[in-house]
Amino acid sequence: MIEDLAKNLIHLKKNFVNTYDGKSQIQEVIPQSTSDLFPIPQQNLELLHQFATMNPIYYNSFKETVGGTVCIVYEGDINKYWLNSIQYGTSHAPFSPTWMMSAYVAVLLSKEIGFQEIIDIGSGDGRIAFCAKVLNLESYSIEIDDMLVKLQNQLTTPLNFHPYCSDATTFDYSSLNLSNPVFFIGGLAQMGGVELASGVFEKVKLISNLKNIGWVFAGTYSQKYSADPKNHAGWGTLIDKNNLKSIQTIALPTAWTFHESDETPYIFTQSFD
Amino acid sequence: MSSFDDISQMFHFEYDKLVNLINSASTQSDLSLHDIVETYYQIMNMSSMITMLKQQLGSNDHKSLFGEIIESEKLISEKFNHIIHPQILQNLEKSIQETTKNLQSNSSEQKSKEEIESDAKLYEELRKKMSTKEFVEQYGKELSDD
Repeated sequence: MIEDLAKNLIHLKKNFVNTYDGKSQIQEVIPQSTSDLFPIPQQNLELLHQFATMNPIYYNSFKETVGGTVCIVYEGDINKYWLNSIQYGTSHAPFSPTWMMSAYVAVLLSKEIGFQEIIDIGSGDGRIAFCAKVLNLESYSIEIDDMLVKLQNQLTTPLNFHPYCSDATTFDYSSLNLSNPVFFIGGLAQMGGVELASGVFEKVKLISNLKNIGWVFAGTYSQKYSADPKNHAGWGTLIDKNNLKSIQTIALPTAWTFHESDETPYIFTQSFD
Repeated sequence: MSSFDDISQMFHFEYDKLVNLINSASTQSDLSLHDIVETYYQIMNMSSMITMLKQQLGSNDHKSLFGEIIESEKLISEKFNHIIHPQILQNLEKSIQETTKNLQSNSSEQKSKEEIESDAKLYEELRKKMSTKEFVEQYGKELSDD
């Protein structure tokens, strides 16, 4: 069911790309109502729309039927966040969001695998952590950029996804009392993601009672980036080095693949210590 | 192309192109990003040709070509690497600072859809400048590694 949902979302994105003639820096669609193609509870869809509507990165929205599905198109701009991140040199990778629907599907898969807590590392506007709350999971959102954390704090009114302004490689994860967590690592392997993930691994290893921890990586097969000799869309060497077992990979649309034919592969892995 | 005359002719053509680009770079403080990249590519192209030809030619062979090779080396080393390259880098840094400052000064204002989309072009321009600066810095790094 989740795989079908992901495929339908990719199909929706491809249809949208073919018809979209706006000029916004980022754009995405969210179906307006539950349907056979998108069998998502209506109340959950409404929460996704609420997040997008409240989110200041979006400056325009309108209704459009895309490939037979009535959607709301959200147009946005994240340039000022990029400018802030380069000014202070605080971010490992500039903020670029996954689609809301992709965040929802990725969290849905995490829930199906059996994880109970989502920790979104390099969380941007906090959408993955927000989706975890929509799906009744506990969530924590770790972001180093204060401007983005300020933005997240504006979005916690319906559901508190616990934003923390902190360097994820020095954060004390034991303070969260985790039991069955999955960590989403923001940023591609080639854009500082490996360094970020390695730092988080070291901190999480210090929590002795945590077993079978999940790790989700956003990968790329784009030839713009150097390939990893052990593949896994850039993450193979890190997966191997940390003795992680690959569970599943699911492709989903993101802001940074909007104009590309390949979507972003999300690689779900787990440690077995 | 294999005969000596062909090689000599090609080198002469590329040398003239290099001289024009260097002259233009030394007189204009506001070189376009396209011109900057073209100049560096020509420098790199000429440097590779010089290395290859020097391995193949003795100083007593083909004196006229050898003389032009030495001239080119001198132009790249003395004029471009020591004077023009630092100037280009300095101008790029200054331009990036100015654009950044302008964008920061108006980033908190409430804007219309049209204004946001118009500003996006300035951000795109800034990204291009930063990417060109990285390219130029990489050239400088390779110089210092040699």
